[in-house]
Amino acid sequence: MINKDSKLILEITDLHARIEDQAILQGVNLRIKAGEIHAIMGRNGSGKSTLSKIIAGHPAYTVTSGEIKYKGENLMNMEPENRSRVGIFLGFQYPVEIPGVSNLEFLRVATNARRQELGEEELDTFDFEDLVQKRLELVQMDPAFLNRSVNEGFSGGEKKRNEILQMALLEPSLSILDETDSGLDIDALRIVAAGINQLAKPNTATLLITHYQRLLNEITPDFVHVMASGRILRTGGSELALDLEKDGYEWVEKINKDKEKV
Amino acid sequence: MDKQNPVQEIVSQPYKYGFVTEIETEKIEKGLNEDVIRLISKKKKEPEFLLNFRLKAFNQWLKMKEPNWAELGYPQINYQDIIYYAAPKASEKKESLNEVDPKLLETFEKLGIPLSEQKRLTNVAVDAVFDSVSIATTYKEKLAEHGVIFCSISEAVNEYPEIIEKYIGTVVPINDNFFASLNSAVFSDGSFVYVPKGVNCPMDLSSYFRINSGDTGQFERTLIIAEEASQVSYLEGCTAPMFDTNTLHAAVVELVALEEASIKYSTVQNWYSGNEDGVGGIYNFVTKRGQCRGKKSKISWSQVETGSAITWKYPSCVLQGEESIGEFYSVALTNNHQKADTGTKMIHVGAKSRSTIVSKGISAGQSANSYRGLVQMGPKAYGARNYSQCDSMLIGDKASANTYPYIRSQQPQSSIEHEASTCRISEEQLFYLQSRGIGFEEAISMMVSGFCRDVFNQLPMEFAAEADKLLALKLEGSVG
Amino acid sequence: MTDSNQWLDSLPAPNGILESVQRRGREALTQTKAPNNSFENWRLTDIRKLENLLTLPVYKKENSIENDFPLKVVRPPSDGIRLILNHNSDPLERVNLPKGLSSLTKLELEQNLGRTNAKCLFQEEWPVALNYASASNLLALKVTGKAPPIELILSSNPNQFNPTRVIFVLEENAELDLLEIAMGSEESAHSHLIEIHLSQESKVQHGMIAIGKKDSHLLCNIAIQQDIRSEYSLTCVQTGWSLARLEPHVVQVNGNAKTNIKGLQLSKKDQQLTTNTQIRFDGPDGMIEQLQKSAATDKSQCIFNGVIEVPRIAQRSNASQLSRNLLLSKKARIDTKPELRIIADDVRCAHGATVSQLKEDELFYLRSRGISSAKAADLLLKGFYQEILSLLPVEADRWDVLNTLLDS
Repeated sequence: MINKDSKLILEITDLHARIEDQAILQGVNLRIKAGEIHAIMGRNGSGKSTLSKIIAGHPAYTVTSGEIKYKGENLMNMEPENRSRVGIFLGFQYPVEIPGVSNLEFLRVATNARRQELGEEELDTFDFEDLVQKRLELVQMDPAFLNRSVNEGFSGGEKKRNEILQMALLEPSLSILDETDSGLDIDALRIVAAGINQLAKPNTATLLITHYQRLLNEITPDFVHVMASGRILRTGGSELALDLEKDGYEWVEKINKDKEKV
Repeated sequence: MDKQNPVQEIVSQPYKYGFVTEIETEKIEKGLNEDVIRLISKKKKEPEFLLNFRLKAFNQWLKMKEPNWAELGYPQINYQDIIYYAAPKASEKKESLNEVDPKLLETFEKLGIPLSEQKRLTNVAVDAVFDSVSIATTYKEKLAEHGVIFCSISEAVNEYPEIIEKYIGTVVPINDNFFASLNSAVFSDGSFVYVPKGVNCPMDLSSYFRINSGDTGQFERTLIIAEEASQVSYLEGCTAPMFDTNTLHAAVVELVALEEASIKYSTVQNWYSGNEDGVGGIYNFVTKRGQCRGKKSKISWSQVETGSAITWKYPSCVLQGEESIGEFYSVALTNNHQKADTGTKMIHVGAKSRSTIVSKGISAGQSANSYRGLVQMGPKAYGARNYSQCDSMLIGDKASANTYPYIRSQQPQSSIEHEASTCRISEEQLFYLQSRGIGFEEAISMMVSGFCRDVFNQLPMEFAAEADKLLALKLEGSVG
Repeated sequence: MTDSNQWLDSLPAPNGILESVQRRGREALTQTKAPNNSFENWRLTDIRKLENLLTLPVYKKENSIENDFPLKVVRPPSDGIRLILNHNSDPLERVNLPKGLSSLTKLELEQNLGRTNAKCLFQEEWPVALNYASASNLLALKVTGKAPPIELILSSNPNQFNPTRVIFVLEENAELDLLEIAMGSEESAHSHLIEIHLSQESKVQHGMIAIGKKDSHLLCNIAIQQDIRSEYSLTCVQTGWSLARLEPHVVQVNGNAKTNIKGLQLSKKDQQLTTNTQIRFDGPDGMIEQLQKSAATDKSQCIFNGVIEVPRIAQRSNASQLSRNLLLSKKARIDTKPELRIIADDVRCAHGATVSQLKEDELFYLRSRGISSAKAADLLLKGFYQEILSLLPVEADRWDVLNTLLDS
């Protein structure tokens, strides 16, 4: 939903970043306002997943120049946990399995950290269980998963539902969903997409990172960006995604090469 | 040999390199004392520093005890009953191959290592060592054009004494272990390689070791220096005739890789392993070690061990340089009464050093095949990583496979991963292959070579063929 | 080099029910060399600490153990019995054994005393000789049918060498749930030896919680003999000892049994904790699953040696062993040595070992959900411990081991 007067949530300016000695982002510019849904598309290795991790503050990447502002505040020196507390959420492409750590306890500690930031009261075990039960319905997840270790032994679909469950609990202002559609069958994809749609509000922003059109059949983006070689090459409306689906990524690369020639 | 087990039979092929070359040999008296060492040194016209090196090592050795921790259980060796120097008569190194005794050339040709200019292997320079001396080195001139020195260590001692003095005994100190000390005292010949700064050695270098005399110990010594940003690939092969006595082979190999240098060292070891009842064969007690001294240097060991009555060998890497890399790829095949205790040590000293260990042990007959390794992360090895994989395959129910991976870490910012498994060739697998029209033998051979694939892929092209041939030798033959 | 002679001299004259064992142990100690670092099994042991251990006398002290022990805090198990073991008195005094448990008769004791030790090749071991030489009391029980859970408190007095010895014989089809609690006192040494004989189709769930205090030492040998179709599960947790050696040896005498060993050790300060396990299949179709975890902080050291022996007779054995280690400080050390000795060809054996610190991607995942890095590390550690703790018998919850581990 585009509304010219709504507040700017995320503003990325000329972002360059590298991992070890390898440059991955080479000048990314992106502005996302409240209420908007954006999608970044691109081939593997185009830098789109890296961008999501850098917004969330992954320590393996180094920002060499440029900046990321969230609600007007520079994120660069903020710890990952604080980014989460102020309302940035990253749904991982490959959520890690953490043996021995109870999923329920993890969800409760995370939720309370966010609530504390928002000046809300912390939830005790019982109140929290009530809240989780409600949110579970959103992703149609079996409550049995709460008593298992974080993501351990979950199928691909279960892991992604667990991610959306976390999103529902943390109620972020900015949700970045990295390849949330990968590894999902069509039913699971619909459930996850419905969850994302329900959680998108006029005061929140959503950034979808995806390789394929199929997620965008379920969630209609306001803007589509095409990424290659660490840059956003083109931006358009949802029809751009359809063009990509039809013509593939080759024409994007051609543009890229032409740009390099110049 | 167990006639009940056809798999067993396939791996028990006769040794094809067991012939003896009839040649007049100059040997010194049996026994070891200071005079013998002085005599060896004199025969080789060595400078004084080397004689002193030998004498110091000898005095160390006298104080040392023969190790027994590997539980190898061999009869006591009488070190006074060994000849410490044997050479084909008139063994002065010849200017041209035409002057080398044709019998020697014939011997190497029979072993598949032709030396003459018409027949010699293209793209591999060969140093051929017969008993205690090097008899010929091919392609020396071509290598010299690139500044690469490749010659016998005896020659190097006289021609490049300053390099030898600078490096010998710095990787494997003379008091390192019982057999290394013995070698340092009496070593006869071996190969020397020096690759200057920035040079990528234009061809693979190879040494071929042949033990011919039955009562002679073989104590070769190899030293390879790779200067900054240079690269070299070195191969060694070994065979010996069949004798019903045991022959001692105690070699020392020292590798030094400076900044960004890379040394790849490959071995195909096929010493005579004794007969079916475990009589005779070589005792192969070898100390091989490389130091990655410089930043981003790399040493890679690959070995195919199929021979010897007893093998006791742990090619190791001391990873001193930051971001240096150590690798160890090994296939050890034991049969009959062979015993192999082999593995590696990866000593991580430098930050971000990395090591990989892949070991495949195949035991058949009543043989014992052990992997013994150490991975150590020192206090400064920040960000270092190791990955080890040790797999064993057992053929028949009388062979044994043991795994002893020692792991020690003193650096929290490092990671070590070790995996090991044991398997056998299952009847279902065999049946599956056979039902697709693959012969029994071929099926076995396929599975063994599939099991070893990760290691064979690491061997240089020229050598991979030899390794294939060698395994095929052990695996081919009629099904009983 | 440790010298056991002085310690031997301080022992009272052999007497009581274990008199002949004491003589044998003392004889063995005078004849065998005390451990030093050139013994493969002791190559990493802090010998100085072993020497400290031998300066502690074995003498009868009258104060009851309740003084040193939080028994008042932790109530006895609700549906089982609590037995308190020290070397001064008969643990069965004033105890009415419930159905399923009975004392071994004199004859049964003669038949069984030391039998499992011998099977497990413990006879020659130095810590076992120490126990033989000094233990004057023992708990010897027979289990028939399904016995109620037993909680066994291994008491130790401060400034003293405390030997304890236990034997359990399980009849066919018997089931036992056993939780041993060893809490070291300050400046104490505890020598514990337990033999469990599992007859056909019997089952044992064995928990061992060993928590030391300042300058406490523990030498614990667990000898297990399993007949066919029996199941033995051991879960042991140790922390807080200046020096501890936990040595479970298991022999499946005719194979075809199940063994499960889970261990956790957490070392702090300058502690040195060791677990040495040895499992042998003396018959076909046996199964072992083993997971050993260690975490070392400060200047401490954790050691694990795990031997699995599969002789020729043990065809179709299935063994898996995993050693997972966390190195949590720059000055701490981890040493681990899995060891497989295999002769049988039709077997499935796998082992693995990892040494690392907490995983960065796991930490990041938690932090990206708003959890502080300290809290995230705590959660991960808790998860690391919990995987083993959750396998302790239910009654173990009363001991709140997790908090002991997390308090540092």
